Amino acid sequence: MITPDVLTAYVRQMMPDAAVTVSDRTGTMDHLKVVVVSTAFAGKNLLDRHRMIYQALDVPMKDGRIHALELTAQTPPED
Amino acid sequence: MADPIQEEINKEVAAHKILIYGKGTKQMPMCGFTRETIQFFDKYGYPFELIDVLSQPAKRDALAKMTNWPTLPKVFIDGQFYGDTDILDPMAAKGEMEPLLKKAFGK
Repeated sequence: MITPDVLTAYVRQMMPDAAVTVSDRTGTMDHLKVVVVSTAFAGKNLLDRHRMIYQALDVPMKDGRIHALELTAQTPPED
Repeated sequence: MADPIQEEINKEVAAHKILIYGKGTKQMPMCGFTRETIQFFDKYGYPFELIDVLSQPAKRDALAKMTNWPTLPKVFIDGQFYGDTDILDPMAAKGEMEPLLKKAFGK
């Protein structure tokens, strides 16, 4: 179980300007749909964008607070 | 001597044009995302292979390191790594999936 603002803090450690939207897919707050909008994604392909998010959330994923993630990663202009 | 697990993965990736490493089997997928990935490829009608790595933790770790991608399922098309449906869905939406599969199967 992780709260949106804790998750956002993890993402912002790596992407300070990130706008993060978290929605709960199953009601247990550990199967999450996460949308991250950041200039840090500029020029990066989809795989690398998602790798950046996984790196930012490595700790809560390893300790089980996050079980499953559905990711969307965009740069602001695309938003 | 190359790592035997690595060699096994390389063989599997080369042997299947569409290969999914996931949780469970085609008949009994053990996780929503694996099921979603099966349904994704069912739409296109090309043959694909699902290898269960729930029962193969060493291979699962080797794959995570090799692809720098921590989660399952992991999809390989024509020997290339494509992540999971978070990557495949946007590609399909942009019409990139059909030509990719056609090329892979030499149509």
